[in-house]
Amino acid sequence: MLQRRDLVAIINLNSKIADKFELVGRRQQPCRRHDFGQCHAPNYPFSLVFKDSFPVTRLLQLVTALGLVLLTSSAVAANDQPSTKHKEPGTEVFRPEPGKFPPLEKAHSYRGELVFVDHANRRGSIRVAGSGMFRRNDPHPFAMLPYGVVRYHGAPADLRYIPLGTVLHVHAFLPPDPKTSAVPVLPVNNKDKDANHNRGAGIFPAENHVLLLEDEPSHCLREGLTWKLKEVEVKNREGMLNASCEAKQSATNKAEDETFTFDAATRVWRGRECLLVQHLIEDGAWPADGKKALDGPSVMLGIMWKPTLGGVFTRFHVSDIWLDEAAMQNAALRQTETHKAFMRSRWLPAWVDAVEYGKFGRATVTATLFGGMDATLYAEFRKGVPAVMNSVENTLKHIEGGSAGPTQMAARGTIHDVIPTSDKPPLGSSGIQIRFETDLITEGMRPTRIVRVRPASWPDVHLPREEYINQGSIEERFPTPDIFPKY
Amino acid sequence: MKPFFVPRSWFFVPSACLALVFAVVISVNAANNEPSTKNQEQKTAPFRPEAGKFPPLDKAHTYRGELVFVDHANRRGSIRVQGSGMFFRNDPHSFAMLPYGIVRYHGAPADLRDIPLGTVMHVHAFLPPDPKTSAVPVLPLDSGKKDANHNRGAGIFPPENHVLLLEDEPSHCQREGLTWKLKEIEIKDNAGLLIATREPKKGGDGKATEEKLTFDAATRVWRGRESLSIEDLVSEGVWPKDGKKALSGQSVLLGITWRPTPDGIFTRFHVSDIWLDDTAMQRAAKSQTETHKAFIRSRWMPAWIDAVEYGKFGRATVTATLFGGMDPSLYADFTKGTSTMMNAGENTLKHTHGAYGPSHMASRGTLLEVIKAPGNAPLGSSGIQIKFDTDLIIEGIRPTRVVRIRPSTWPQVQVPREEYLQDGANMDERFPTPAIFPKY
Repeated sequence: MLQRRDLVAIINLNSKIADKFELVGRRQQPCRRHDFGQCHAPNYPFSLVFKDSFPVTRLLQLVTALGLVLLTSSAVAANDQPSTKHKEPGTEVFRPEPGKFPPLEKAHSYRGELVFVDHANRRGSIRVAGSGMFRRNDPHPFAMLPYGVVRYHGAPADLRYIPLGTVLHVHAFLPPDPKTSAVPVLPVNNKDKDANHNRGAGIFPAENHVLLLEDEPSHCLREGLTWKLKEVEVKNREGMLNASCEAKQSATNKAEDETFTFDAATRVWRGRECLLVQHLIEDGAWPADGKKALDGPSVMLGIMWKPTLGGVFTRFHVSDIWLDEAAMQNAALRQTETHKAFMRSRWLPAWVDAVEYGKFGRATVTATLFGGMDATLYAEFRKGVPAVMNSVENTLKHIEGGSAGPTQMAARGTIHDVIPTSDKPPLGSSGIQIRFETDLITEGMRPTRIVRVRPASWPDVHLPREEYINQGSIEERFPTPDIFPKY
Repeated sequence: MKPFFVPRSWFFVPSACLALVFAVVISVNAANNEPSTKNQEQKTAPFRPEAGKFPPLDKAHTYRGELVFVDHANRRGSIRVQGSGMFFRNDPHSFAMLPYGIVRYHGAPADLRDIPLGTVMHVHAFLPPDPKTSAVPVLPLDSGKKDANHNRGAGIFPPENHVLLLEDEPSHCQREGLTWKLKEIEIKDNAGLLIATREPKKGGDGKATEEKLTFDAATRVWRGRESLSIEDLVSEGVWPKDGKKALSGQSVLLGITWRPTPDGIFTRFHVSDIWLDDTAMQRAAKSQTETHKAFIRSRWMPAWIDAVEYGKFGRATVTATLFGGMDPSLYADFTKGTSTMMNAGENTLKHTHGAYGPSHMASRGTLLEVIKAPGNAPLGSSGIQIKFDTDLIIEGIRPTRVVRIRPSTWPQVQVPREEYLQDGANMDERFPTPAIFPKY
């Protein structure tokens, strides 16, 4: 990336040209929707501004200057250590492309507290944990990628099901298209900037388009981790819990202990039972007062945040403890059933890979179903099954003409083929392609565009007003980021 | 064909005339109304709360609907209000909690952040006390009576959008002494329909209307300590695996949500939870009570100022009424002689202070008196007045203004960024704009 010193070097090469420019520092505020042009331009921290005001000389100067900049930046690039570039893939700027699922390992990962949810537009805000004082961190807006996966209690979920306050693990990318971002677009190096006021760096990452959003149990289950309880300190049914997050199947313990708070509202799940801390005390498992070593029983923790005593920078709070696998499985089963019913009423999202056009509006559409759903939902996509496909936006909102329901505007047809494309599909993809023949191909079904599909056997229901786009209004299609407060 | 030009002013003159004609017609229609009807329907007349007075619950406009959106930091959100028409078509209707407005969930005090989206809530609401500073759109007074068209019926956009009481179904039933009696179940693949009546717990007249509700495999069933699924009830033989079964009026409490309904049904709600016994319901209430107690102890008790007796050099004695709806153990911490802090707040109950925490800016002092008013306090009030002596009386602590108070025994913590105002100079922070609510 060009730095200020490089630009100064370029300009010093020719004092006559240099005399025509000023170096202007770029503004630090996040981009507004209507001036996105500056923000998705190459990431130069400084802009060149002409002092001269005559348009013709401006044009000539621009051509000369751009040529010079390109030449010199090539020289600067040539002087870079290519080996370093290749050794640090995590530091390169990665932006998802249409029609390609971005690899999870290229994502920027962080965690934080869910503070705000606009579920209808699949976006919200998270207070991101950095190295500083957690409570000072402004809520940081995020949007789910259309193929982004939400998991709660180890099961598929929608944003609407995650309680506010839950601490989530985030794997996110830069906005695929900053022009249509539903959340503010930030400078690409934002995660490296110190946010001042004892907040540290990393709390406003530009990577705010989320591929995977998961709560603590989902994260642990996916990564094969477990929490081992080391010590509890109780007073008046609240207190501190020391625990370490370790690999479930590992003989060595290298994990550091973490201290959490808990209180009288913390739920403890044991098999079918839902207990409170007072019940653990009554059972003698935890002391009524004082400390007790816990010998490292393996549990799952639900983690949230509450304001913390004692000037502690960051300390999370335990909302739930699952004492055994049966309890965790019960929670996952319930969330799975909730999400299955949700998907059956909203249809499976997918994107269009290809369209083979026939005559009189007939076409065969090849689409890849998005991933992260329960397997039973995919199993209902079978060869020969009548199906319905509707075009949607990146928010996964159906496009309806009026309020007659998505089915009225959708293309009807038959699934000709169900093709497994990969045993290990990238996150976001199901690894299942369908070939769908319809006699009503519409503009919304083009390669890279998002659609929703349902087998005809799924319930034909009408969606609530906030979950569909009426007449394709631009505000509805591309929700404005202006709703997020600026602190 | 020659272009045909018309002066633009032609359009303005007739539109002004039209406005006049409409105004005359509307006046005639209004004159035709029965004035006696207007006077007899006191309960339905829009009521605007006044500063410093708790509005009577019986003057509130009552409706119910699905919680669709929450901006908990500004104590506002949106509800899809149930009308006579097609429920799914109803646009989310924005609401704001009154500063003394009460939220109840699972029969216990709650904050908006505790209520899951999708929950069906009972609402008791008033006109905006001050339309100029309303955090939600201000609607015409007759908005609640207009037919919203598109088969939606009337009543789905009431102008009474400032809420005194917001409660979920179990809270509503417990406050009103009601219970759900299960009459019949029809089940297939762990999902189906439940027929039930909501009637007084003691001495129902048997005339309650039956309501059909859906349930599915994700519906939670609470029995004592146990959290069961529909599958568990089926495997125990309590409910059939397939088909119908009469349930002989079993008394339960229901958690109610909404989901899109097939078959063109206008409005049918969904059962998210069934509490089979009192123990199960009490445990849910206990858990929510503890959540809210911890919340209020970290955010402080809201109150408003009744009077200020000014002394010298910034000293004053402040009389304040604590807002209602909290667990009694929180009020019990306000005792005579207790060292206390009081901080100015806004109608959103946000603390006014910088980033150093509410304690940094708050007025310190001592509770001189704690006075419990006799009889039942109006909803919104605790019926408890405190007299607080401080040597730092500030502009935000004036009669009718909202404050937050903390006995020194409560934890001294700093609240997150979205829950306080920086320095009060930012009008957008003090009076959140209603512009964030989408227009459909």
